[in-house]
Formats: sequence, C-alpha cells, structure tokens
Amino acid sequence: MIGTAKPLSLRGIAKTYQSKTGTPVEALAPIDLEIAAGEFVVIVGPSGCGKSTLLNMLAGFGEPTSGEARVGGEKIQGPDIDRGMVFQSYALFPWLSVLGNVEFGLERKGLAKRERRQIAMESLRMVGLEDFAGRAINELSGGMKQRVAIARAFAPQPSIILMDEPFGALDALTRRFLQRELLRIWQQHKKTAVFVTHSVPEAIMLADRIVVMTARPGRIRKITALDLPHPRESTSERFRDCEQELYAVLDEELAKSFALG
Amino acid sequence: MFLSRALPLATAVVVIVIVWQLVIAIFRPHISLLPPPVIAAQEFWTLLASGELFLHTGTSLARVFSAWTITGAIAIPLGLAMGWSRRVERIVDPFVEIFRPISPLAWIPLAILWFGIGEAGKVFVVCVATLFPTLLSTIAGVKRIDPVLVHAGQVLGCTDQASLFCKVIFPAALPSIVVGLRISFGTGWAAIIAAELVAARSGLGYLIANGMEILRADKVLVGMAMIGILGVFFDAVFRFLHRRFSWGEE
Repeated sequence: MIGTAKPLSLRGIAKTYQSKTGTPVEALAPIDLEIAAGEFVVIVGPSGCGKSTLLNMLAGFGEPTSGEARVGGEKIQGPDIDRGMVFQSYALFPWLSVLGNVEFGLERKGLAKRERRQIAMESLRMVGLEDFAGRAINELSGGMKQRVAIARAFAPQPSIILMDEPFGALDALTRRFLQRELLRIWQQHKKTAVFVTHSVPEAIMLADRIVVMTARPGRIRKITALDLPHPRESTSERFRDCEQELYAVLDEELAKSFALG
Repeated sequence: MFLSRALPLATAVVVIVIVWQLVIAIFRPHISLLPPPVIAAQEFWTLLASGELFLHTGTSLARVFSAWTITGAIAIPLGLAMGWSRRVERIVDPFVEIFRPISPLAWIPLAILWFGIGEAGKVFVVCVATLFPTLLSTIAGVKRIDPVLVHAGQVLGCTDQASLFCKVIFPAALPSIVVGLRISFGTGWAAIIAAELVAARSGLGYLIANGMEILRADKVLVGMAMIGILGVFFDAVFRFLHRRFSWGEE
C-alpha cells in the first residue's frame, strides 16, 4: 500500500482562523484541485496567500473549516507517515545523528534494525551524504541539513511528499543545486509532490503544473501546465516567457494585497 | 580546557589564602575566632584522616541526592505535562505560584515539628528546595520546543501522544531539564547546610554549627571549605552533562 504514488484530491477545502480579537480571518477560500499520482505540483503566491495553510492541512495539521482532501480516495484526518514533509527550517532532530534522523520514520514503521540501517544508508547515498551518517546535525551546513531532511522524508516511502519552501533559507547556488537534486530524486521515486514556494524560477524549474494563488483570502488564480522537458534551462526562451507570464499575474496579486493593507 | 578552568581557580585560592594571612597579621584575631590558614589546613587533614570529614560530607550528599532524585522523579513528568497541556498547567500553576516564593528554609521549623531531627525532615527541606527549579525548567523546556519539530515527528509516524512524547517532546526538552537539575542541585546543596545548621547530629552543616558551639573556628572553616570544593566539583559535572545534552546548540 505504501511506496506507490497516490492521487490527491482537494474538494472545497477552506480555512478560516479566529484572530486574537475574535474576528474570523479567511486564510483560504474554498479550493478545488485534482493532483494526479506522481505529479509535481508547485504552488506559488504572495506572502499570506494561504499556501502554507493549505500544505499544513494536506499534512494533517489542523482541520479544514470546510471541504476535504483525499489521498487515493481516503480522507485526510491528521498526520500520517504516508505523507512525508520537508520544512523550510529543516526540522531535524538535533539529539539524533544524521543516520538517526533518517532512520526515525523507519523505526516508527516497525522495521528491523538491519533493514532500517540499509534503507537509511540508501537514502543518504541518494542525497550524497553517506559519508556523513555518523555526524551530529549541528555540524552540518544549511544545504546539507536540507539534504538530510529530504533523505529522511523519502526513506519511509510515503506516497506523497509535501514541501514547504524547502530551499527558502538557502543561498542561490545551493538552492539551484538542490533543485536539481530534488528533481533527480523525484524522477527516481515518482512520488506525488506538492511544493510551496514564492520563487517563480524555482516553480518553473520543478513543476509539472504551477498553481498561482491570489492574495488573501487565497484562491486559485491560474493553473499553468508546463511541458518543458527536464533539465530545464533558466536561460531558454520558453522558460523566460513562462516567467514573464507568471510575474505579470503575481504582480497584480501583490498590488492587491498591498491595497488591502 | 581543564587547565583554562583550573588555573584561574588555583589563582583565586592563592589570593584567598594571602588575604586571610594578611587579615591575621593586621587584626591579630583570637585563634578561636579566625585561625591562620595553616591551622585550618591541619584541621582539614586531621578530619580527613580520621574519616570524620568523609562521614559528614557523605551524609549531607546522601540527603541532597535522595531529595533531588525524588523531586526529579516528580517534577520532570509533571513539568512535561504542564508544558504540553494548557489544562494541566491551569490547574497546577496556582499551587506553584503560592508555594514557590516561600523559602525552603522557612519550612525547617515545620520539618522539625513533623519529622523531628532525623533524616526525613532534612530530606523534606531539600525536596522543597529542589522541586521548583527542576519543575520550572522542564515546563520552559517544553514550551520552547519549535512546533515544527513536533510536526516533523508526526509526519514521521509519531501519530499518538505517547510516542510523540517519548521520541520528540522529551528529548527536545532535555537540555532545559538538565539546566533545571543543575540549578536545583545547587539550591538543594545550600538548603541542606541550612537545615543541618539548625537541627542535626551529622552532616557538613552540623560540623559547622558544632564548631561554632565549641569555639573551634578551624572546624567551621573546614566545613565551609568542603562545601566550596564540592560546589566547584558538581558544577563541573553538570557543565559536562549540559554540554553532552545540548546537542551542540547554543
């Protein structure tokens, strides 16, 4: 049941928060979206458009106010090891070694020690960190930490990988490198991937489809399917055209969000 | 590493001895009020050789350790629960607020009334002294956990509260818990001396109080020196533990 990619189906999923003063804040307007098994969907939008809220609900942190999300027909209720996540701040466990972090989910799945060591080492090899298995987390650079986090998320073979601005805290070169690494890993494993970012070039580099969100309350403004072959070159004409098109839409949305205050 | 700590300490000891000797030279106090360092050192040696010093030190330490262990076993689970659950915190916190400002030393009279001058009374006083530092540090440790670590634990399979607690909450709060244990050992160590000064037949506090009663300042000084030596020693132990359990952060 685990290991194969599953489709993700969002039906009228919406979130309204109670602010501290008691007034309701609509973070996310009802959203409908069908994501195919093995598809790489990138969600872009201005800050506060609810894209992280949406991703958190897919992870199972917090119920939607209305609507529902289904994974392979099954309704999402709370977090599950079948939906892996990569966080912007890495969220590695500093009390465990690199290997311990990657083994964490495997241990929770009840795998025997030998088996989980073998799978964890495979995962580390996949991100090029097999020589760092015994290191402490706080000895690693940001880029290495995020590679460990990617290995940790992929190791238990979830059918969906959720990524919340995973490269947002990294320098431009590391970012570019890890985008390619991620694509390579994703092409190997063919997981369904939902990736949130506010970087347009990053979205174009990675996505099968790009979902552009509006300013708060977030709703889907536009969905762009990209049929550019990988590896994509940010200097190519089609890449540039795509960029311009997306920036035009996002500029409009940003202007709206500033007008709202 | 060791030298960079030991050298300033040794210097301080030398300075203290010099000042002490100067005070003797200038004020010429009676030997029963302030003996010269040599006499105190001789008494230290005598008490050490006779085993008396070990006995008193061991007694005081045993009282502190048992109380510190008891309160640790109570305060760590309670602190984890209070830090994690708003409801538990709301129920327990008022009690903490009321009892915390009462100095553990204020409990000594009641401890004597209730338990006499045996072991139980002293352990009780040290319990009061060690409970709150451990408890408050544990609560703070849980509250300071980055929520994203909890989320990471959940998507990696800790979907029930028990496994989340064991695998994520406890280790994430551990650095802060160790800090609490270190502070409470210090407050417990201070409290046991006070409790023994008032009512005891053994322990370093008793050694000091007895020295005063028989006008033997050298015995008093030996007791005080031993307290200082052990303080430095345990601080080094806890410093090591803290480094070991802070995962290279800070």
